[in-house]
Amino acid sequence: MTEASERTPANRTPPLPDEAAVIARAADGDRTAFTQLMEHYQSACYGLAWRLLGNADHAADATQDAFIHAYRAIGSYRGGIFRSWLLRITANASYDILRRQQRRPSSPLPDPEEGAPELPDVGAVNPVAEATKSELYRHLEVALRRLPPDQRTAVVLCDVYGMDYNEVAAMTQSALGTVKSRIHRGRLRLRELMAEHRELFTG
Amino acid sequence: MLIPNHPDPNHPDDGRLSALASRDDDATQDAALTSHVSTCIRCTEVVDELGALRASLASLPDLEPSRPLQLLPPVADAPVAAGGGGWIRRLFAPALTAGAALAMVGLVGTVAPFAGMASSGAAPFMDADAGAEEAAASHLQVLSSGGEAAPAAGGQTDSTDEEPLASLDEFAGRADESAAPDEEVAAGGEELGAATDRQLPAERSPWPMVLFTGIALIVAAVLLRWVLVPRAG
Repeated sequence: MTEASERTPANRTPPLPDEAAVIARAADGDRTAFTQLMEHYQSACYGLAWRLLGNADHAADATQDAFIHAYRAIGSYRGGIFRSWLLRITANASYDILRRQQRRPSSPLPDPEEGAPELPDVGAVNPVAEATKSELYRHLEVALRRLPPDQRTAVVLCDVYGMDYNEVAAMTQSALGTVKSRIHRGRLRLRELMAEHRELFTG
Repeated sequence: MLIPNHPDPNHPDDGRLSALASRDDDATQDAALTSHVSTCIRCTEVVDELGALRASLASLPDLEPSRPLQLLPPVADAPVAAGGGGWIRRLFAPALTAGAALAMVGLVGTVAPFAGMASSGAAPFMDADAGAEEAAASHLQVLSSGGEAAPAAGGQTDSTDEEPLASLDEFAGRADESAAPDEEVAAGGEELGAATDRQLPAERSPWPMVLFTGIALIVAAVLLRWVLVPRAG
């Protein structure tokens, strides 16, 4: 599998123009620079946390935890794509919460149709295409929430955020074969769930 | 129309098709798999749909947080600087505590003999150390006051041409044996500094050194933290 973690889709947060300098200042203890970084990437981190956890409050908590971890660890940041580095921290923070939830199964599972965040404008010039994209994203978010947690985690980390199989295996503390299996089964399940909206893929 | 994800002996496992859709090496290099897909409408459609699904998932937008997030942790959670401020911060409190303890013990050990002297009026037990001048001055002060130790100074004065004394204890002992007249006290006092310099005893009191070490430890810890650990801006 290619190193997909370096891609940044058009509607995802791009790097800051002077990101390397801001990171260097943050690593030197400049709290203003760190705030600038977190403000810039908070929607990316929150989006990942929400897709992994399916709950707005838990997602906000996980994002907050990730910022604290990042603040402590930024001195040891050794280059690479900062967004990917921060998303890995967020995924770990989210997965910690997910594990705690799974140890306490009394927590009710969220209704996939409810609690979905307001999706931002996708930025299309064509209003029809924009509406189609928004509709596709809305159905995809609902379908993702219908997946079993282990499959959803694997699909979100791999297909939505571009982590490779080894990263997902390390993060979820699972065998490589298990991760691949979860991803493939999750994709196939998503394909079934999206069957009645297939026309949106070509819209 | 959706082609269901069901095992079909005439087609590869759908998991293999998913692997092909994500361009996994083991799938793209599987000649039997790629050969089948290239000639099978059903499998081509599944691979295409899974590819479109992956592309859509990869383009899902970022999401705005449901509530304002605290972007900056409290100051107490200071970042671990690349230069290694972490170990300094971890060692700061223990070093400060150890330094304070050493300084306190050293201070008590150094001052206690003087306190005893002040209360008894007798010459304190004091093994001369590197600060011999201070010790000599202290003795001189006692001698000048005309206390019982005064003859000691006279005795010492008389014995400046003799062999150096091993310690001030010995010095005091000799002084007891040879009581000197009071008039010799002044002259003896004048020479006492020089005499003590020449006759540094072999024993050294550890307490001033303990005090110095404690203070040095505190100063070093504070300076290191100040210089190397980034401060909140």
